[in-house]
Formats: sequence, structure tokens, C-alpha cells
Amino acid sequence: MAKKLAVQPSLHKVIMVGSGGVGKSALTLQFMYDEFVEDYEPTKADSYRKKILLDGEDVQIDILDTAGQEDYAAIRDNYFRSGEGFLCIFSITEDESFQATQEFREQILRVKNDENIPFLLVGNKCDLEDKRKVSLQEANDRAKQWGVPYVETSAKTREHVDKVFYDLMREIRARKMDENKTNNGRGKDKSKKKKHCCLFMCC
Amino acid sequence: MLFVVSKVYKMEFSKEPNFDMLTAKDFTPEKYVKKLSQNYVGGSELQNLRRKIKSLSEETSSNLKKNVYENYVQFIETAKEISHLESEMYQLSYLLSEQKSLLSALSTTSILEDMQPINIDRDNKLNEKDFEEENKQKLAAILEKVEGCKELLEVPGRTFLYEGDLLEIDPTENTSLKTVHVYLFTDGFMITNRNSNSRGLMKYVYEIMYDLSSLAVVNVRDLGNVKHAFKLLIFPDTRVFQCSSNSNKKEWLDKFDQAKKTRLAQEQQKRESITEKSPSRSASIESPTYNPFEEDMGTIHPEWFLDIPEELDVCVAQRHFEEALSLLQKAKDYINQTASSSEKHDHVLIDIQRKVEQRQNSLTEVLMKELEVNPDKSLQGGLRAARRAVRLLNQLGRETQSCNLFLKLCSSMLRTQCKRVKREGSTTTYIRHLSSVVFTNMCHMSDEFLRAFPDSPACASAYVVWASNELLQFTTHLIKQVFMPQTSLATITECIILVRTQCERLYGYGIDLCYQLDGALRSSLMKALRDARDKLIDSIKLRALDDKWIPMNLHSKSSLGRCIQEHAQMGLNLESYVSGDTWLQLTASTLSFTKMFLSLLNDCMKLKTTELMYTIDETLYNVFEAQIRHNENALRTELNQEQRTFLTKNAEFLLVNLIEVAQKKYKENVGYECQTLQKLRKEYVALQKGVSPTSRSTKTKYSSEFI
Ligand SMILES: Nc1nc2c(ncn2[C@@H]2O[C@H](COP(=O)(O)OP(=O)(O)OP(=O)(O)O)[C@@H](O)[C@H]2O)c(=O)[nH]1
Ligand SMILES: [Mg+2]
Repeated sequence: MAKKLAVQPSLHKVIMVGSGGVGKSALTLQFMYDEFVEDYEPTKADSYRKKILLDGEDVQIDILDTAGQEDYAAIRDNYFRSGEGFLCIFSITEDESFQATQEFREQILRVKNDENIPFLLVGNKCDLEDKRKVSLQEANDRAKQWGVPYVETSAKTREHVDKVFYDLMREIRARKMDENKTNNGRGKDKSKKKKHCCLFMCC
Repeated sequence: MLFVVSKVYKMEFSKEPNFDMLTAKDFTPEKYVKKLSQNYVGGSELQNLRRKIKSLSEETSSNLKKNVYENYVQFIETAKEISHLESEMYQLSYLLSEQKSLLSALSTTSILEDMQPINIDRDNKLNEKDFEEENKQKLAAILEKVEGCKELLEVPGRTFLYEGDLLEIDPTENTSLKTVHVYLFTDGFMITNRNSNSRGLMKYVYEIMYDLSSLAVVNVRDLGNVKHAFKLLIFPDTRVFQCSSNSNKKEWLDKFDQAKKTRLAQEQQKRESITEKSPSRSASIESPTYNPFEEDMGTIHPEWFLDIPEELDVCVAQRHFEEALSLLQKAKDYINQTASSSEKHDHVLIDIQRKVEQRQNSLTEVLMKELEVNPDKSLQGGLRAARRAVRLLNQLGRETQSCNLFLKLCSSMLRTQCKRVKREGSTTTYIRHLSSVVFTNMCHMSDEFLRAFPDSPACASAYVVWASNELLQFTTHLIKQVFMPQTSLATITECIILVRTQCERLYGYGIDLCYQLDGALRSSLMKALRDARDKLIDSIKLRALDDKWIPMNLHSKSSLGRCIQEHAQMGLNLESYVSGDTWLQLTASTLSFTKMFLSLLNDCMKLKTTELMYTIDETLYNVFEAQIRHNENALRTELNQEQRTFLTKNAEFLLVNLIEVAQKKYKENVGYECQTLQKLRKEYVALQKGVSPTSRSTKTKYSSEFI
């Protein structure tokens, strides 16, 4: 088992969430293949895997691109469970998509039961500045309230595309290292942490 | 084995008038042979008879083989015939239902020709029925192909959608794992594996059935060199499957989508119908969809969660225990999550939590019933059959209970197994058989136990207590069977050694009961040793009465030779006692004592345990002393000089030669020489010179009150 782990670079599981048409797939494809897809074809659930160099370390990223369309909302839980980090995307040209991020955030916290889950708030389509409906201030405030970073991207111009994926992976990696430490230190620390977290949430 | 042989005899020898006895009900081979040998005198006649019996037995076994083969062929043919019949029955029933529908259609059309709309309606219904029928047949067919999925039919409304072979891929390594055959139903996804020991019909073995609502399908667009794959997320597992082609993958994804959508629609429908039926419910907080007041404050629970108590009932009733357990877990996880994230008391949540707890208790009860010992229940499946219930109970955290029940089950099985061992043949045969049954079972049980409760110290100690109890029962029985006044020490020894060897088999499982066994047998063995001693002393005294103190005449050179050889094997050299062609300068009494004493010593050495050493030493001393006293007493009587010399020679033989041999043997087994025998030798050393050892202390603590 240890051998296997040593051979395969560590795998970080990222999930793309956000309303339909905000550019989750476009961001994914730009990151994966340096391509921008003009057509809109709603996604159900697609997965991608890529080997990358993260701060000099070989790692693998597993991207799960989920459906933004409302009719899949009921089964999102099952997808979210498998994620280690989340890119929560909205389009700066559509206020509704920004409002929806609140709901996604809550669902993720409920499913993962973890306040500190690696998470980035992403405002996409920043190349369409003239059609902006969500102000930078608004978005920054929400991110601050959640205690997460906020980044604006464009799948079209590739602005900050790599940044959001790499930043999220760094968070996931840091998180995993933390967990390892506490796990190695004391065997049953996990449950403790969970309890602590519950307390925190109740208060 | 004996049983089989006698059965064979019974079957075939009945034609032979000579062998009529073989068919008798109370036939026992020993008796039979005894009787035969009474009627036939002389070696050659007996040898003839033996040849005859042997040829008969050979004939029988070849006949038996033939018969078995023929039966087997017939059996195969019958099986074929049955499967033909079965398919014919299917066809027949299909034909019949078709004709029935035709007839009913005819009757309606002919009489009510003008009522077209009704007909159409009927047709529609018929179609639906046909579809249902088809689905039923499909499920039945799956049932025949897949081993271990009997519950398939138990979910009402389950419809088959799609099936096929897929290659499972390791989700982290991207290497292929195995080929699976999978089925998609409206409510679940079933994975089966190739049946490696299939004999035709059951091609696959059931692996798992995933509930569709707990499963997420992901289209794998890019996974290195793995093409045409899709992923199933079943928390916390991820399983990746590769399809044969891209179109095949599309087909699968479409079917999954279809299944999911239908299920969602069904659930929606169900939810609506419930709210329609019970308006009171829609007004209460229980129905989250229709609650305008609590929009942001109350937690909205998913449908599956609200349904969980009923689902659990169904699962338990249908004996889908694994599913029930995973539902329980799911419900608990959900409750924990939700309770920790909401600040207020949630009545729905608390209500369901209470219900779920009830269901957990009833599931535990049902599982415990499974394990209970019941006179009506056959123990046919053995402990294997208990594995499932034990595993599930352990998962429910009821290890102590399941451990107790498991051990009770073991006890009852052991008892039935023991009852099957008939008390027939010699004591040794019976004990050999019985102890083998007891300890083989105990080994097997230990194995199962270690498998079921791998690392629980509490259970392990319960097991040790159980094992020692079983051993106690066994030894109680053993003592009754073996330690009877008529049983010789040799037989007892043989039995005890048998049992000890069997008991040592448990070492392999980390259980050493030999000490306990020895402890339980100690007092009985002590008594047996004393009884043997008394018997031997009696016989020594009897022989002493006839002792004329004359050398022994063996009448022929050859029998003298044999006698010398026999003693040489015991380690005694008699050459120096030979006089003339056939005479030995020892009495018959001395020689028979020698033999008897050495065999006693032999048994003692086999039985020896530290705790028994005292009794053994005492026994050896007393028996030996009885013989020596006989010599001593004789010396006091009126004997002529020649007899005196002869007597001294005998005494010397016993005190020097025999004791030396005995000490050697004793030392080999115990590690040091026997002190009581050493003492005895010292006490009677004067006898060797023909003097009565008056100086010795008259009564030692070893001397027996029986003399
Ligand atoms: N100008 C511009 N257009 C974008 C950008 N990102 C996405 N789009 C366009 O927006 C449309 C929707 O993009 P998708 O990536 O398919 O949206 P999605 O979030 O995956 O939608 P669902 O799969 O339905 O959840 C497409 O026509 C894209 O070309 C962007 O950064 N700038
Ligand atoms: Mg998409």
C-alpha cells in the first residue's frame, strides 16, 4: 500500500460548482486543454484528471465538473461528498448566479460537515466588464464573510484560470498535511476535531 | 468405516447362503469373524475362506462403482429432463396467457363492437401487463444466472433497464481490475462477478446492489489512457468502469440518466400524493415543501430521510439486513450532520431519530434471533450460516451479545455432533472417534471465532471460558466412559494419550487446554493407578502361593531362544541364567513379574505429569516391594541350600537387573532416576546375600497397607 502511494503522485479532488452557464466547463476545459469553447452545452457530471507540477511536486488533479442546471439539485449531495476542495463559480454578468453561491456554500458545508473545507469563490467572465452586474465590493464582502479567497477569472482570456486551480490545490495539500500530523500525533483526533467543530457551529 | 464395510456386505452377499449372517440386523464384523473361525479349523481352511471373502469384497466394490456411475448418469439425465420441462412450462404459461388475452379481446369485440374506446383502453392495459410480465420474466432469468441475489424480486416495482459487461478500473492506479457483469434497475445498480466455480447455470456471483439514490454517475472525459469510462461515486467509494466503446458508454449514461429521472419523478409523485392524502401533514412542519413560514429557519429534510423508518421496516421484514444497516448508518450520519448545523430543536429530526433507534433495536433483536439455538432449526449450515448475523451484530456494536450467542450455538452444535458418535466397538475406538469429533469441532469453532471476533479481548476471554467449560463436560463424560473397574490401565493410558494428542491441536489457535485436561483427569488417574497396583499385588500374592523355587523349564531350545530374545528387547540379558538346553535359572514368578512390572512402568511413563509423579512412584514401589517381600518371606521358610542360592539369584536379578532397566526407562522419560526404586534397592540389598534385611526401617511411607 505504501509503495503504491509512493509511485502514484498524490491526488487532489476538486469540484466545480455554480449555476448553469456561469462557465464551469469553460474554465475546466481552458485549464485542461488551453481551449475556449464558445458553445454552451449543459453538463451532467464530467470528470477529468491531469498530472501537474505544484510547487515542484508531481501531483494529480481530479476535476469533477458538475451540473448547474436546477433539475439535478436533488442529487448533488452524492457528488459533493467526494470533493476535497471546491471552486464555487458565478458569472459577474448575472446577479442570480451570484446569489446562488450562498446556497451552494451551505450545501457543501452540510455535506462535508467541515467549516474549513478548501474553497474559493470565483467570479467568472471578467472579460465582459461592460456587462458586469456583480460589483467587486459585493463579491469581496461575501468572501470575507465566509473566510475564503475571492478571485475573478475569464475562461475566454485565460485570466487567473491557472491561479484558481493552483491556489485551491495548495489549500487542499496544506489541509491534508495538517490532518496527517494530527492523525499521526494522536490516533483519535479526528473525532475530537469534529466535536470541536460542532461546538463551534452551535455557539 | 466399519459401517460402510458392513453395509457393502449387506448389499451383495445376501445371495450367498454361507453369508446369510451378513444381512442380519445385528451384524457386527467381530462376531461374524469369530463365528466363522469357530467353524473352520486349520490355517488353510481359514485362508480359503479369507480368499473367498476378499474376492467377494472386490466384486462388491466394483459393482458398487458401477452402480454409482449408473446412478450418476441417470441423475444427470433427470436434471436435463427437468430443465427441459421447466422451459416448456414457461412456454406453456406464456402461450396460455396469450390465448387468454386473445379470447377476452375476441369476446369483447364480438359482443360490443361499437365500444371501441373501451377496447383501446383494454389494449393499453394489456400492453402494460405484457410489459410487467416481461419484466418479471427478465428478473426471473437474472435470478437464475446470478448466485446470491434472491432478494431481487422482493422490491415491488423494480424494473430491469439495462445490463452488460464492463471492465472495472482501479480509480487511483488507472489499471484494470476485473470484468464485471452489471445490471441497471429502476431503483438500483447491481454488480456481479464471474462465477469461477460455475457449473453451467449460475454464471455470475452477486457482489453488491447500490441504491440509485445514493449513487452519483460521472462521465469520465479524461483519465489518461483509459477511454470510454464512467465513474460511480458511492460515498466513500469511487468505482470506475470502462465500456467497450464510446457508443456503449453513451448508452449506459443515458440509461442511468433515464433511471435517475424516473426515480426523481416517482419521488416527486409520491411526495405529492402524500401531501394530497393527508392535508394535516402539509400544514405541519413535517412536510417541508409546503411550509411558507419556515422558509429559512426550519431545516428541510430530504424525502429519503423522512422515509427511512418505513424503509427500515421493509428491509428488516425482507431480511435485507445489510441494506438496513447501511440505511441506519446513513440516517445517523444525516442526523448528526443536521443536528450539529442547526441551533434549534427540530421536531421532525427528533421524531425520526427516535424511530430509527427503535428500528435499530428491532434489527438487533431479529439478528439475535437468527443466532439463537432453536430445537426446530437445523444446524445444517453450521457456523458459516451464522457469519452474516454475527458480522452485522458486530457492526451494530453488539459484540458481547453476538459473542455469547455464537458460543451457545457452538455448544449446541458440539452436543449434537457428539450425540452422533455411537458407543460401539472397543473403548479405545469410541474415545478415538469421540475425541476427534470434539476437538475437530473445537478447532473449527476457534477458527470461526477468530474470524468473527478478530480483535476483541473481551470476546477472546469469553471464548476461553467457553472452551474450558466444553472441555470440562467432555472430560466428565470421558471419565465415566473410560475409568471403569474392568478397564485395564493399558486401555486407560491409550485413551488418555489419544485425548491429549487431540487437545494439543488447539495449540494452533492459541488455546492450551492440556493443563486443564490433566487437572480434570488427575484424581481419576490416581485412582486408576492405585487400582492397578492393588490388582497387580493380588496377582503377585496368588503366584507366590504356587512358587516352588525351582528353575523354569522352557521345554524346547526354540522357546528358550524366544524367551531370551523377548527379554533382550526389554533390555534384560538372560544369557547368564541359561542352564542346560531348556532351563532358565529364574522362577516363572520372577519372569512374569518382570514382564508385568515393565508394562506397568511403560503405562506410567506415558501418563506421567508432574502432579502424578508421587502416585506413580508410590505405585512402582509398592508393586515391586510386593514381589521382593515374597522372596524375603520365602527365605525365612525352610529351604535347602540349593534353593536358597537360587532364591538369592532371583532376588539379585530383580534388584539389580530389573531395577536397572526400569531406572533407565524412568530416567529417559522423567529426567532423573526413580527415588523410591532406589530406596527399595537399598532396603533390600541384604537379600542379594541371602540375608533377610532385618535392619531396614520396617514401615516406610511408601509401604502399602494392603500387604
Ligand atoms: N465571454 C465569456 N464567456 C464565457 C466565459 N466562460 C464561459 N463562457 C460562455 O458561457 C457559456 C456557458 O459556459 P459553460 O462553461 O458551458 O457553463 P457551465 O457553467 O458549465 O454550465 P452547466 O454545465 O450548465 O452548469 C458558454 O457559451 C461559454 O462560451 C468567459 O469567461 N467569458
Ligand atoms: Mg458545464
